[in-house]
Amino acid sequence: MSLSSASFIIFLVCTISVYYLVPKKVQWVVLLIASYVYYLSYGFKILGFLLTTTVTTYAGGLLLGRLNDRKKLELQKLGNDAASGEKKVISGIYTRKKKWILAGILLINFGILAAIKYYNFTAENLNLLLGLFSDLSLPKMTWLLPVGLSFYIFQSTGYVIDVYRTKYSPEKNFFKFALFVSFFPQIIQGPISRFDQLAHQLYEAHSFSFDRLKYGIQLMLWGFFKKLVIADRTAVIVNNVFNDFYKYSGSEIAFAVFMYCIQIYCDFSGGIDIIRGVAQILGIDMIDNFQRPYFATSLSDFWRRWHISLGAWMRDYLFYSLSLSKPFGKLGKYARKKFKGNLGKILPVSLVTFIVFFTIGIWHGASWKYIAFGIWNGGIITFSVINAPNYSKVLDKLHINPESLYWKLFQIARTTVLVFIGRYFTRGDDLMSALRMIKRTVLHFDIKSLFGNVFNLGLSSFDLLVVFVCGLVVLAAGLMEEKGTNIRHALEKKNMFVQWSVLMAGLMAIVFLGIYREGYIASEFIYKQF
Amino acid sequence: MEELYKILKELRPDVNFDEKKALIDDGILDSFDIVALVGEIGETFDVQVGVEDLIPENFNSVEAIWTLINRLRDGE
Repeated sequence: MSLSSASFIIFLVCTISVYYLVPKKVQWVVLLIASYVYYLSYGFKILGFLLTTTVTTYAGGLLLGRLNDRKKLELQKLGNDAASGEKKVISGIYTRKKKWILAGILLINFGILAAIKYYNFTAENLNLLLGLFSDLSLPKMTWLLPVGLSFYIFQSTGYVIDVYRTKYSPEKNFFKFALFVSFFPQIIQGPISRFDQLAHQLYEAHSFSFDRLKYGIQLMLWGFFKKLVIADRTAVIVNNVFNDFYKYSGSEIAFAVFMYCIQIYCDFSGGIDIIRGVAQILGIDMIDNFQRPYFATSLSDFWRRWHISLGAWMRDYLFYSLSLSKPFGKLGKYARKKFKGNLGKILPVSLVTFIVFFTIGIWHGASWKYIAFGIWNGGIITFSVINAPNYSKVLDKLHINPESLYWKLFQIARTTVLVFIGRYFTRGDDLMSALRMIKRTVLHFDIKSLFGNVFNLGLSSFDLLVVFVCGLVVLAAGLMEEKGTNIRHALEKKNMFVQWSVLMAGLMAIVFLGIYREGYIASEFIYKQF
Repeated sequence: MEELYKILKELRPDVNFDEKKALIDDGILDSFDIVALVGEIGETFDVQVGVEDLIPENFNSVEAIWTLINRLRDGE
C-alpha cells in the first residue's frame, strides 16, 4: 500500500475516523492495529522480521534499564562520602554487563540487516576470489529485503543505545513499544525518529483539531505535488536515459542526471511531507528530514540538510561512539605526537568522518556503486576537513570575503556539482555503468544533440514545461524558507479567498498534472528500497 | 574551572562562553568541537568522558561541562 495509492487514502480516512471516535485512552491501540494492518499489506512473510526486532529491542531495553537502576541503587547505598575508586569499580562492573547485552541486541538486528542486504553481494565477490583457487562457491540466496527493515532497525537500535547510555528509562509496555517501532506513516521510509521525541506523542490522548487537519492536509498536498507532479514526471526521462545510456550523448546523460537530482529530492522529501502530514492530522509532530539541501554550501552541509534523521543517527551512534572509543583515543594521542599542528589534532576525527560517510554510502545497498558513492562523499569531506585551515589562508590572500553573496553562490554551485557527480553512482545500474556515463558526459558532451533531442527523451514540451514551472515553485518556496519565512504562517495571514485559491491550485495541479499509472496507482517511492 | 575556560577559548576563540547557555542546542559547538573538547578534558582532568555523557544538557554551558567533569572525577 504505497503512500501515494488510492487504497492508502481510503485506509487513512478509516484510521483517522476510528482514531478520533474511540475513547482517548485507547487511541494508541488504534494506531498499533492500523500500523500492523498497513505493514502486513506488504505481505505476511515480513512480519517475522518486524517482530524479531520489536521483541529483541524491547527485552534489551528492559534488561539495560534494570541494570541502570541497580547501579544507581548500589551507588546510592555507598553514599556521597565513599571513595571515588569504589564507585568506579561498581560502575565498571555494570558497564561490562551492559556492553554484553547491547552487543547481543546490535548483533542480532544488524546481523539480520547485513545478512539480507549484503549476503549475496559478499558471496558473489567471495566466489570470484574463491574461483581463483578452488571449485568451492557460496550459494546465492533469493532473499527479498523486507520493506522498511533498515529504517525500523535503525530506529529501535537507537532506542536501545539511548537506554544503555541512560538517556531515558525503557518502555515497560510491550504493545506501546511495538507501536513506536511500527508507527505506520514512517515505517517504510522514515524519518528515523528518536524515542524521547516521538513515543510520548504516540501514547498521549489527542483531541480532533480542525487546524491540525488543515495543516496536515496542506503538508500532504505539498508532498503529493512534489511526488506526483514533478518526481514521477522526471522519472520518465531518467529511466529512458539510464536504461540505454549508450544511445545518448554526454549532454543528454547530464540532463538526465539533472532530472534525477530533481526526481530524488521531490520523491523523498515529498514522501516525508506526506508522512509528516498524516502524523500531524493524528496530533503527532514528527521530525523533519530535509532542510533545503540544494542550498548547501559544502558537501558536509548537504548531508546535514539531506535525510537529516539518518545523518543524526550516524553522528550520535557511530561518529561519537568511534571518536571516543579507546582505539581512536590512542590513535589521537599517537597522531598528536607524530604530526604537529592541525593535522595531528584532526587526523583521527577525519578518519571517523570517512568511516561514517562510507557507511552512509553502503547503507543504501550492497553494490560497488554504493561503495564508490561512500568513498566519493567520505573522501571529499575528509579532504576538506583536513585542508580547512589552508582554505582560509587562500581566501585571505585572494581578498575574498567568505561572507559575501558571490562566494556563497559559488559554494552552492560547487556543492551542486559534487552532489550531481555522486548521483551518477546512486542511479547508475552498477559501478561500471556509472563510470561509463561519467566518461561519456566528459568526453562526448555534444550540447547540440541535447538541444535537438530534448523533446525526444520521453517527455513532451508540455511535460517539460510543467517540470520547469513546478520546479521553480519548489525552488521559490525553498528560497523563502531559507530566508526565514514560514510559508504556512504567511499564508494564514492572507484572506480566506487567497488561502483557498492556493489550496485549490495545489489540488488541481495534483489531480490534473499528477502522473498516475495502473489504474490511478502512482509509482513507488525510491527510498522504499533502502 | 579556569583550565576549562582555557581549553574552550583555545578551541573556539570566536565564542563568548560566559554568555552562551545553549552551546549545543543553538548549534554553536559542532560534533568536531565536542570530540576535540572531550579529548582535552580527558587529558587535563584525568577523567573518561563516555559516549553516554554526550547529551546536550552536559555541554550547553561552561557550568554544565564543569558539573560533568566533577561528577566524573567523583567516579559516578
